[in-house]
Amino acid sequence: MLTYIIRRVLILIPMAFVICFLVYLGLELTPGDAVSHMVNPDAAGSMDPAQLEALRQSLGLGQPFYVRFWAWFTNLLQGNFGYSMSGGVPISNIIATRLPATLELAAVALVFSTVVGSLLGVVSALKRGSKTDSVLTVIGMLGVSIPEFFFGLVAILVFALNLGWFPVGGRSMPGYVTLWDRLPHLVMPAMVLSIMLTAGVMRYARSSMLDALSRDFIKTARSKGLPEWRVYLLHGFRVALTPVVVLIGFRLPVLIGGSVIIEQVFQWPGIGNEFISAVRSQDYPVVMTIALLSVMAVLVASLIVDILTAVIDPRVRLGE
Amino acid sequence: MPGPNPSTITRRRTRLDAQFDRIRAREEAGLAKSGGGSRTLKKFLNNRLAVIGLTIFAVIILASVFAPLLTPYDPNKINLRDMLQAPSWEHWFGTDRTGRDLFARVLYGGRISILVGLGSAILAAIIGVLIGVYTGYVGGWLDALAMRVSEIFMSFPQIILVLLLVSILGQSLLNLILIFTLTGWGGIYRMARARMLSIREEEYVLALRSFGLGRPLIAYKHMLPNALGPIMVNITLSTAAFILQEAGLSFLGLGVPLSIPTWGNILNVAQDIRVLQSNWWIWLPVGTVISLFVLSVNFIGDGLRDATDPSQQG
Repeated sequence: MLTYIIRRVLILIPMAFVICFLVYLGLELTPGDAVSHMVNPDAAGSMDPAQLEALRQSLGLGQPFYVRFWAWFTNLLQGNFGYSMSGGVPISNIIATRLPATLELAAVALVFSTVVGSLLGVVSALKRGSKTDSVLTVIGMLGVSIPEFFFGLVAILVFALNLGWFPVGGRSMPGYVTLWDRLPHLVMPAMVLSIMLTAGVMRYARSSMLDALSRDFIKTARSKGLPEWRVYLLHGFRVALTPVVVLIGFRLPVLIGGSVIIEQVFQWPGIGNEFISAVRSQDYPVVMTIALLSVMAVLVASLIVDILTAVIDPRVRLGE
Repeated sequence: MPGPNPSTITRRRTRLDAQFDRIRAREEAGLAKSGGGSRTLKKFLNNRLAVIGLTIFAVIILASVFAPLLTPYDPNKINLRDMLQAPSWEHWFGTDRTGRDLFARVLYGGRISILVGLGSAILAAIIGVLIGVYTGYVGGWLDALAMRVSEIFMSFPQIILVLLLVSILGQSLLNLILIFTLTGWGGIYRMARARMLSIREEEYVLALRSFGLGRPLIAYKHMLPNALGPIMVNITLSTAAFILQEAGLSFLGLGVPLSIPTWGNILNVAQDIRVLQSNWWIWLPVGTVISLFVLSVNFIGDGLRDATDPSQQG
């Protein structure tokens, strides 16, 4: 088991390094460098070019490419991501203030979609071919076909503007501190973000359950004379759900992608919102850092998924 | 020994019996056709949802292509006297803030949105298949290299990579298609490669190799046709995904430049809460059209999968 984990990590490290390198290359190729963020353009026009050059040298910008990359990379490992072009704020500060909001949203959506999606999927598989099954299939199809932001717009119009049940957007109002106070703000974005995920989980859980039900151990359980509910619940459900839960890791990219747009629709002050405004203002250091962090999150998640799969299914770790 | 005559056995006749009788009656009358037409096509046409999908798809495509015949309005003509009109006989979907006819904008916008979705999906498929089929068959270092490159592309959440490239390359229609192609080829490459790996030891391949045929010829001419089913499915599903992404990006104002009407660009104004609340006709019809179109493409994709892949039924 340990050797399997070590081997997976060893594959991951060079890949993470290559991605860091590519991101740095992108950063180098985009216009502007550290000096142009520190000194505002009007001031730079009136400054002595020699002075600017001296500033560049003192920051180490005159050094060869690989030296600069290495400096950037070691800073990165220490959690020092550089500075935003607008306002010169350290990017790590931006991340630290924005990340909790995104995690809050993602956690709710992840839990909701896993529970509801797998339940609906299993129901659909048990009633295969029935009316319920086809209705659920069509609903699932609608869930993956309607753009999430369109769901968001309709939700804002109906539940916030017309019915007034929830606030239009934002994460909290001034003076509201506890999670309970913020809850009304969380409901709509979390639900809308869940829709697409739930539909995906449902489809996956359905086929996984059908697959489990066609195996021999189900026949064995039936021929032992177990009541149907025990056959389904203890034998089918458990086997079918293992891959679904493992799938959580693979849903991370969908979750990140979804939250980028949903945060914008609901003005949720998370990482995705920051990312969009950085793209709009071409604040490359922020864009690159957030992209890099999201890739690392995906890589780590896939590593965890691989390990979990290996724990559950010995064929995986022994097979390779 | 002929079996006992079924009619002498006394048991309850089921629906299957009745169905079997009907089939036999047709066969005896010489009406049953065998082998006529493609089996895949018949299976596809028997799938109700797939046919509904194909119908909606065809209607929307035809309406976009023949837009000039369906509406007298120019989608970009600003008419300040007709600002923000609700739907009427004159303007079926109403008008927007600068008096442009929304029905015309939805039709002409469909041209661009479908072009972006379908075009990027086809380009991505061409690249993915070209690389995947050959490296999957040949194997070796070329295969390992292609796999690593695709892993790097695919470890980015797609929308993050798309936005990253938009911020570097800038916004234009062509750039968007290129970016979608660049970020989307990985999935189809992997599928094509996996398919090749599973058929490369089959006997006909070995036979061709022993005849001394060149590798590209074996891979592209003889093996590729056996992977076409899943490739078609993948193209339809990624068309749906790209159309959703274009809509999302343009909604944020980061997709196709706002001067070109696309489905996403029409929705862009709905970010304004006043438009959202009091001018529903600007965003609701176009959102519905996008949803219907993507839904139809997904139905087609599912139907294709069921019709071409016997292992995926149920």
